[in-house]
Amino acid sequence: MPTALRFAARRVARGLLTLWFAVTATFLLLRLLPGNPALAVANPNMTKHDQQLLLTQYGLDQPLIVQYGKYLWQLLHGNLGMSFTQQVPVSSVLLARLPWTLLLTGSALLVTVAIGVPLGVLAATRRGGVVDRLVQLGGVVGQSLFVPSVGIFLLFFFGLWLRALPIGGAYSPDASGAAWYGDVAAHLVLPCLSLMLLQIGSYVLTLRASLIDALGEDYCELARAKGLPNRTVVWKHALRNALLPTTTLVGLQLGFLVGGAVLTETIFAYPGIGRGIYEAVTQLDYPVLQGAFVLLAATVVVANMLTDLLYGVLDPRVRTA
Amino acid sequence: MSTQASTAPAVAEPVATAESSARRTWREFRRNPLGLPAVVIVAVLVLVGLCAPLITAAPAGYGPDVLQAPSAAHWFGTDNLGRDIFAEVVWGTRASMLVAVCSSALAIALGVLVAVLGAYFRSLDTAIGTLVDLMLSLPVLPLMILIAALAGPSLPVTVAVIAAFSWPEVTRVVRSAALSVVGLPYMDAARVIGGGHAWIIRKHLLPAVAPVIVVSVVLTASRAVLSAAGLAFLGLSDPRSWSWGRILYEAQQSGAMSSAWWTTLFPSIAILALVVSATLMSIAYNDARNPRNHRR
Repeated sequence: MPTALRFAARRVARGLLTLWFAVTATFLLLRLLPGNPALAVANPNMTKHDQQLLLTQYGLDQPLIVQYGKYLWQLLHGNLGMSFTQQVPVSSVLLARLPWTLLLTGSALLVTVAIGVPLGVLAATRRGGVVDRLVQLGGVVGQSLFVPSVGIFLLFFFGLWLRALPIGGAYSPDASGAAWYGDVAAHLVLPCLSLMLLQIGSYVLTLRASLIDALGEDYCELARAKGLPNRTVVWKHALRNALLPTTTLVGLQLGFLVGGAVLTETIFAYPGIGRGIYEAVTQLDYPVLQGAFVLLAATVVVANMLTDLLYGVLDPRVRTA
Repeated sequence: MSTQASTAPAVAEPVATAESSARRTWREFRRNPLGLPAVVIVAVLVLVGLCAPLITAAPAGYGPDVLQAPSAAHWFGTDNLGRDIFAEVVWGTRASMLVAVCSSALAIALGVLVAVLGAYFRSLDTAIGTLVDLMLSLPVLPLMILIAALAGPSLPVTVAVIAAFSWPEVTRVVRSAALSVVGLPYMDAARVIGGGHAWIIRKHLLPAVAPVIVVSVVLTASRAVLSAAGLAFLGLSDPRSWSWGRILYEAQQSGAMSSAWWTTLFPSIAILALVVSATLMSIAYNDARNPRNHRR
């Protein structure tokens, strides 16, 4: 299908444009910010001579445009520089952490959808009911939550008071085999719950609003007139269309979700990229900070492209638009 | 519930229209059960921030009472160095408010300027729209962290960083409102009678989008509180001033977080109270000024 192909190509091109923008913005910010550009690559504890050596080595004494070309070239080869504190490439530090962040944000998204869809349906079909009122209040409060506060509360309640769940890390060192998976899942619960609470409000509110709109459309009226049970009208007819704006929201909120993950991982000592950012901040490890942003931006761009393509599958109209 | 709004004549004398519409919005606002309490909470917090020196002495260090639970002497308890957490929260209100007000003012000024220019001069609009979309789709917090770490944590840096990444959201909201106004006939009329661009933007475009800007101010400020607290929680706040995020950061750093609940509960309540009230305030205002909600 050439139209579908063109649609896919356009989305991929937009993803690449976003990525180029992120990379270029980082490059310019690091060079144009007042202060010593050597800071971006050189450890402040080095002597002046060593710093100068590094500047030459990284080509920071060359014209901006030449630096930019080299920077892009290095990035294309996956080279994000060396970490100050651990004498290893930034890319290997971060790639080891990426799976944990993906696991955390991915499971938070899944749980949000799994709980959010039934809640949104319930709120939209029983407007003004108890669930509806709670959902509306929860939507407002949810967007106003400060993630570390939520994390600390969960940690106190489930971890320290009930002693039901582990309070930090991603796995116990002594677990192995099948027990290891259960252990990882147990460690995932609280961070995942914090992230879920942060974002579920806006999803449910969006779904509720679009479902109410959809239920008022002619095709739902017709479905009801045909004598279809209300259940079928809601879940099979209205919900399918109402899910479209919610899918858009998933894409829009990804950057926000990643920000929440940074704070959540910090609270729960979860070994993902966010915790890596926190540790890099305390050690002023700039290459790791820069690499973490580029990698997270790339992750968001890819995930965004996937949601866009999924949207194209769900709604054939956007393929031709 | 019936209101006078539906029975009152819709058309008043032209001079009184602006006055009466503001009054009607205020009356509707007061009828919202959550509107006034939210205003009161925000006002109290602003007052606490302004009058911090009158309420309690600045949290100075190292008392002998380390990690004491809340008591008559220390209302909110003490932290791991024996500092009074009540004083930290009160003085933290000041810093958090300052950051919120300054960064939101900057972000609003920049965001509105870009939005209005884009909507008015259509040739700029595509570029601005693309830029806003790009910035909104990136993970902003890691970028803020990178810049704040490079520039060194201080109050002005926090304000600048938050403003630099909050304006696209303002532009997005204001731009869509401005775009719908620009197409209206009265804008053409203003042009036909020979109005200059600056005059039309100032006298006709800006007043039309003013309500959207009001809502945007409140929401941007409350999001700025969260961003500032997030940066401070990672250790990127001015070490010379207290903020709510910094109290949490120190509790986490010292390990007091998991043993002394009072070190984290009170700053968390402060953040939640401010952000929720500000959000409710803007929702109540939005509902109140929307005439569709008046007859309910």
